[in-house]
Amino acid sequence: MKTILLVEDEFGIAGVLTVLLEDAGYRVLSAGNGREGLEQLAANRPNVVVTDYMMPLMDGAAMAQAIRADPAFQDIPIIMMTSVREDIVRQHFAGYTAYMRKPFQTEALLDLIARIAES
Amino acid sequence: MESEQHSQHLERVPSGISGLDAILQGGFLKGGVYIVQGVPGTGKTVLANHICFNHVARGGRAAYLTLLAESHARMLQHLRPMAFFDDTAIPDRLYYASAYSTLEEQGLRGLLDLIRHEIRGQTASLLVLDGFVVAGLTAPSEREFKKFVYEVQIHANVMNCTVLLLTSNEPGPVRAEHTIVDGVIELDDRLFDHRTERGLQIRKHRGSGFLRGVHPFRITTTGIVAFPRIEVAFASPSRRDLPPRDRVSTGVASLDALIGGGLIDATTSVVMGPTGIGKTTFGLQFLARSRQEEPGLLFGFYETPERLKAKAEALGLDVAGLEASGTVEIVWQPQGENVLDELGHRLLSAVRRRGVRRLFLDGLGGLIESAVHPGRISRFLSVLSNELRALGATTVYSVETRDIVGPTVQVPIDGISSLVEGMMVLRYVEAQGRTHRVLSITKIRDSAFAPELQAFSITSGGWEIIGPFQGYEAVLSGSAHMPPPPPEGR
Repeated sequence: MKTILLVEDEFGIAGVLTVLLEDAGYRVLSAGNGREGLEQLAANRPNVVVTDYMMPLMDGAAMAQAIRADPAFQDIPIIMMTSVREDIVRQHFAGYTAYMRKPFQTEALLDLIARIAES
Repeated sequence: MESEQHSQHLERVPSGISGLDAILQGGFLKGGVYIVQGVPGTGKTVLANHICFNHVARGGRAAYLTLLAESHARMLQHLRPMAFFDDTAIPDRLYYASAYSTLEEQGLRGLLDLIRHEIRGQTASLLVLDGFVVAGLTAPSEREFKKFVYEVQIHANVMNCTVLLLTSNEPGPVRAEHTIVDGVIELDDRLFDHRTERGLQIRKHRGSGFLRGVHPFRITTTGIVAFPRIEVAFASPSRRDLPPRDRVSTGVASLDALIGGGLIDATTSVVMGPTGIGKTTFGLQFLARSRQEEPGLLFGFYETPERLKAKAEALGLDVAGLEASGTVEIVWQPQGENVLDELGHRLLSAVRRRGVRRLFLDGLGGLIESAVHPGRISRFLSVLSNELRALGATTVYSVETRDIVGPTVQVPIDGISSLVEGMMVLRYVEAQGRTHRVLSITKIRDSAFAPELQAFSITSGGWEIIGPFQGYEAVLSGSAHMPPPPPEGR
């Protein structure tokens, strides 16, 4: 069973995505901000990180930079899902594997995660 | 002394919202905490976002925290079509984050820490907490909640960050948190018969004056636009009213001769009469005398600019040419669900923008019908007229009376005579098997005028005074008759 680390501060979105990902056969680790995401990462190495950008305490770009800087985790695919325009995201962090603009169709995100998790 | 005064000066953070800063008399206090309350759908989120985008456009930085509000993606999607929205401001200058999980897990103490962290982390000079009512519901006691609000205020003040707390509380009695914060803004969307009108009221604005009462506002594609109530916004005219000097031609030479040379400069007159009698024709003649140094404005509700120009052309008046040269402007306000104060501001703005000296408002019924509180109209018109005088505009209002002929003249506004310096009543009169147009000059303040009823006609060149309408009685009843012959032998 593949593991997805879902880092999302909006509990409604996080809740729905968790259910859908679990239904799709993934194990889901949840975090509400970048700091919690890094804590989860250290304890449970996921196959894919799916993260929001704007979150309290630590944003998705800062967390993703920390992941890329750590040799133990730098090869983990990162999906950035955010309302922030992609060109602006890239000014802060360009090392993501895929970008998805919010709001999105959940099927599109699930397809993207499936493709990346299986590759 | 001067430095002491300077230190006591309270720095403002403008909202940048059209009309709101006038209501707040400059904006929010820097480092102040404000509650923005109203039931769902009244426009709190749009207002707060509009203020945030304005703030960052002026070089500030803002953080928008939510507690059980709509998702940020959905909220931004709704805001994107509005003119103030700027994608490039997010996330560097305007940052959105949810604080709900923190509140759930760590309570008010955790939420306070998060607010402090986000103000510092984002170097925010403006912070919005959307869904503040949820924080109140989570509080273990009212005392704890008051303490939380108090601590938010202390941090906001120390960190020079203005804070807006958005809550869906019902409008009503003063709540505990209201006593602590620096200000309370209440939004509502009231039903008047079959129409609604949004209203904004400042309940409290510590350390500042503000325009009291309910002020209408709209949510438009440009965002929030507020319209300070005319009666309070212009309670004192914006300029000193100078004593009237010159005469301003009505555009009808034979009428000017009856009223001492024309209307008195910078005064307000009303021409009232039934449909089709010639009110708009008179207004067009008045307007056609506009010159570059005496610009004109037609502010109308009924006939489109194209129809008005065609009508003027048929009378030999080059209103279209005057419009093309910028000497005359025609502002057409189609009848719909207009907001009275919006119309007032639009009119005054059009007068101010071009230094209008000749104004024809066709007709007053358009203003009256836009009022959700008809009882306001007399005072509204009184203040509006004062401001128009102060701006130097010589104004003619047309007013349609209800009955075409009949024994009474139904005027749709109480006390109109006290609001204007000039008043002319137009009547259709039946006499000897035909209909006549008759004019009664009932008032030209501080000026002599011909008191006789005057017959007039509308020719291919417009109005023409024929002369006194003599030999009849009960003319203004609409059904004139010859007086009985004097008894024989006297």
